Amino acid sequence: MSERSVVYLKDRQSGQLVEATLLDGLDRAEVEGAEGQWIPFLQEQLQKLKARGISKEKWPEHSHWDWRQKYEATEGLLAYRMFGIECQSRMQGMMLVTTAGKTCRIVSQRNKPLVYVHFLAAAPWNLPSIVSEPRFALVGSVMIAAAIHLSLAEEFSGRIGLHSLPQADDWYSRGCGMTDLGPDPAVQNLRYFEMTPEQAAEFLK
Amino acid sequence: MADKRTMTLNLTDAEMNVLEQLSERKEISKTAVVRQALRMYQMLDARLAQGEKLFFERDLTKEKAELMVI
Repeated sequence: MSERSVVYLKDRQSGQLVEATLLDGLDRAEVEGAEGQWIPFLQEQLQKLKARGISKEKWPEHSHWDWRQKYEATEGLLAYRMFGIECQSRMQGMMLVTTAGKTCRIVSQRNKPLVYVHFLAAAPWNLPSIVSEPRFALVGSVMIAAAIHLSLAEEFSGRIGLHSLPQADDWYSRGCGMTDLGPDPAVQNLRYFEMTPEQAAEFLK
Repeated sequence: MADKRTMTLNLTDAEMNVLEQLSERKEISKTAVVRQALRMYQMLDARLAQGEKLFFERDLTKEKAELMVI
């Protein structure tokens, strides 16, 4: 059973904040339930993009992620935590992080432990790149805040790190204020971003 | 926050010294160091049980050395 706390998402239609639930420690039923809603919706939207001749480069880069497989690969391992955000009875986003074995690369924080965000995705109906009227905003921000809070709880002072898909580079850099440490040849040349304790405190303001 | 339980840990001087050094270097409490170690050990044990091997690689030379885990 996951731990639950209240968070807020922004309804893009009304512009109002709406109450949602942050789930820490998703169980199998929650992940399977989310995938059962996400995959059919995503497939339908991708078919529409295809029919409109939108090139695959513009499709969401994480549309192939298999959250059930990620759950099964990490089930029962203390080093991994899976988060979800539930709102209006639907999973609006999911995130997988690890709290062990990853350390900082930024010189001022070098070798100090951090929370590493392996995967973070919003539900397909929240993605402006595939739907004309996306449902909720702030899913990514709430997840990054959850990773920072976890880092604080683990005594990591808010330090987090992640490899970004190219479509999200700008958001992690400008939207979150993380430090861009450049392409990482060890991880498909994805850009690696880190957040220092000071940047984390600024993000949470 | 998950419920926590307390236990007494008996360590030799050498073990305690290492724990204190890691705690200082990583700027986390000794409890957090032990928690990290447990997570890592469980993860390694699970991977090794699946028939995988653990290697360290030198960044510059890409030279690999297998780490034996009991």
